[in-house]
Amino acid sequence: MVAEERACPLADRSKRYFLYGPNHFEDMERILEAPPGSKVLLLGNEAIARGALEAGIAIGTTYPGTPASEIGDALARVAKDAGIYFEYSTNEMVAAEFAMGAAASSVRAMVSMKHVGLNVAADALMTFAYTGTRGGFVLVTADDPSCHSSQNEQDNRYYALLGGIPLLEPSSPQECYDMTKQAFEISEKLELPVIVRTTTRISHVRGPVTVGKIIEGLKKKEFIKDPTRFVTVPAVARVRHKVLLQRLKEAEVLAEDSPLNRTEKVNGGGTLGIITSSAAYNYAMDAAEELKIPADVLKLGFSHPVPTEKVSRFLRDHRTVVVVEELEPILERAVRAIAQHRSIQTKIVGKDDGAFPRLYEFDQAIVAAGLNMAMGASPGSQEAQPVQAENLPVRPPVLCAGCPHSATYFAVNKATNKKAIFASDIGCYTLGIAPPYNAADFLVCMGSSVGSAGGLAKVNDQPVIAFIGDSTFFHAGIPGLINAVHNGHRFLLMILDNRTTAMTGHQPHPGSDRGPSCCDITAVSIEEVVKGCGVKWLKVVDPYEIKTTTETVKEALQEPGVSVIIARRECALIAKRDEKGAISKKHYIDQEVCKKCRTCVDRFQCPAISSVDKVQTIDDDLCAGCGVCAQVCPYKAIKEAK
Amino acid sequence: MVDMYLVGVGGQGIITASKIIGDAAVLAGKNVLLSETHGMAQRGGSVICTARIGEVHSPLIPDGSADVILSFELLETLRALCKASRSTTVISSTERIVPLSVSTQKFKYPEKEDVAREVGRTSKSFTLVDAANIAAEAGVPMSSNIVMVGALAGTGITGLERSHFERAIAMNIQRKLAENLLAFSGGFGLTNRRS
Repeated sequence: MVAEERACPLADRSKRYFLYGPNHFEDMERILEAPPGSKVLLLGNEAIARGALEAGIAIGTTYPGTPASEIGDALARVAKDAGIYFEYSTNEMVAAEFAMGAAASSVRAMVSMKHVGLNVAADALMTFAYTGTRGGFVLVTADDPSCHSSQNEQDNRYYALLGGIPLLEPSSPQECYDMTKQAFEISEKLELPVIVRTTTRISHVRGPVTVGKIIEGLKKKEFIKDPTRFVTVPAVARVRHKVLLQRLKEAEVLAEDSPLNRTEKVNGGGTLGIITSSAAYNYAMDAAEELKIPADVLKLGFSHPVPTEKVSRFLRDHRTVVVVEELEPILERAVRAIAQHRSIQTKIVGKDDGAFPRLYEFDQAIVAAGLNMAMGASPGSQEAQPVQAENLPVRPPVLCAGCPHSATYFAVNKATNKKAIFASDIGCYTLGIAPPYNAADFLVCMGSSVGSAGGLAKVNDQPVIAFIGDSTFFHAGIPGLINAVHNGHRFLLMILDNRTTAMTGHQPHPGSDRGPSCCDITAVSIEEVVKGCGVKWLKVVDPYEIKTTTETVKEALQEPGVSVIIARRECALIAKRDEKGAISKKHYIDQEVCKKCRTCVDRFQCPAISSVDKVQTIDDDLCAGCGVCAQVCPYKAIKEAK
Repeated sequence: MVDMYLVGVGGQGIITASKIIGDAAVLAGKNVLLSETHGMAQRGGSVICTARIGEVHSPLIPDGSADVILSFELLETLRALCKASRSTTVISSTERIVPLSVSTQKFKYPEKEDVAREVGRTSKSFTLVDAANIAAEAGVPMSSNIVMVGALAGTGITGLERSHFERAIAMNIQRKLAENLLAFSGGFGLTNRRS
């Protein structure tokens, strides 16, 4: 077999795209080219993308964020071939608003984001529920119980309750695909936006998906003006709120009859009832089977509005009903309210009884403990545990070999002697929190570095340095910078510009010159934006030049107002893949010269440099050839390999 | 039902390995669920994938219930043993990727003997695979992950045919397929009694 000569029909397309994933040809074939009726292994997120294509979307938008990123990445790759428009928007709010404009014009549109992204988009969504939509509008939000890669584990089902928005919760890749398609139908039937809510263990699970036919949806439409619906001045909003409540009643009727809300029997069924949704359904099924508990399971895939009649009947049919859900007791409180309202005496067990934790993601063992308690078989519940390091060498994620952020942090520490307050932000560079840099003192959300820096500086005498990535700067950093200039704050903002949205998989951002397959894009200059915000002191440095960066930081900190340094150097992973690393000469430590001072491991951090038995060495395979360590070494013991 | 727990370090091709297992199961007409860690784990952190073949709903494997631990890195083998029981088959690469904490925080990287002792104390069997060398000999030094998939396939525990794995490799690997199949074969032969 001559494998490498096998023609890959998509190979020549790679150069036009921004994505570098090793397997994206195969994934593209799967998502776009899997024939109707075939069964393919898909990631939950890919299944959502396929479902959207089969629903005939005209528009897809996103701002990347784990665990939702692959939805957008899949659409970005196939957009041109699928004949849809897809964009990486500047932030989730813009992504949602763009899709709303299109959907109000009667085409189908989908916007995807991680759970905290919906905090950014919520302002638009809460009122879009009032105007409603003409074309199907589906917002996918991916929650992250256990904070695998997030700053909180908020439960986004609350947004459905807050906004009065129908909510679908898939439990498997197959359901991700099915429910995405159905979400568009429900959205158009009710003329409402629909939320599809996943979690990490839904979005990032692969499983077999039987797919259908991709259809060419409506792509262009004439906007029919109706300001009494779509312009939410108070007089309109008051009327539309009433309409929304009426639509929610219709939504509940749909939920009552929806096959997404179904009863299943485990071990032949029994007097124990389980009400569950999302990933918790999977754990409940496996736990009940494992424990050999005969039970009826009411699985709510269409979980808001809760189908009151269906739940009432289920309660009446069972002596005990256990509500199994991750994070907040949302279903549980709804079920208890229904029981109280209808005077149903069924015993209801859930988080309020301590049977299940309110923290972290579940697994089948945690649910089994809760079921045991509900059955009276076991006294206590099993606490969910966060991911814990054992008594072994820890291996947390670290900045990569050749990472320009590493060089920046080394220089900043040198310039400030660590006597500064560091306001950090969301991205790879947050990893600077760890020793040896300790370069993060405050962080709450995207853009919080710039906003909080002013407050930190106002009430502290220490210098304040805010770190923000290029993508995050565009996303949420600009209003904070304008605020700082306007109100005369004093701090240094360092924009760590690695030319990509690295953490989530190297998606482009407004400063990029490469975009998705379907778009002609224009790179927006960070310098021009910074100047446009009114900043008078701006310098651009190459973080690989440690001395210059250090001196520039010292100089910036003398400024009485806002100073900005753009530390610009392409992400080392991209530089490596494009084989254009700047210096790109492998380095080694000359043991004859090395004084074993440990500067290269104690004050600098590079995965290629290790210290075992008091000897520091550079791993030739891992070395990215950036040459920063040679500048870090006080004895010039680190040298370019011949 | 077969529960497989795959561990290693970001960049070792663990997700690709799990996709090959998943595709092989689909080719065999079996239900399969895979879960994977993303995001922060990409930056050289510990990576965990689970693969469950059979009529299961949850993709997760609770402590003490893995049928197989397939580890791509020696230290991660030790970290994965919370999933092991006396019926667990442990297959581990000999590869060592020293974490920064060993350099900076006075942690000690465990010796091969320490790992073998702990595995022996907790599990049913232990196979060490010199995956890097086998991959290099096959002409694909970056394909240690394929060697490991071969070692898993060779045990027969998955209930999948060798041909399912080979076709699944072709679905996931475009470059140097013949060499990768050779790497697979190298791993397969180590654990397969009939070969």
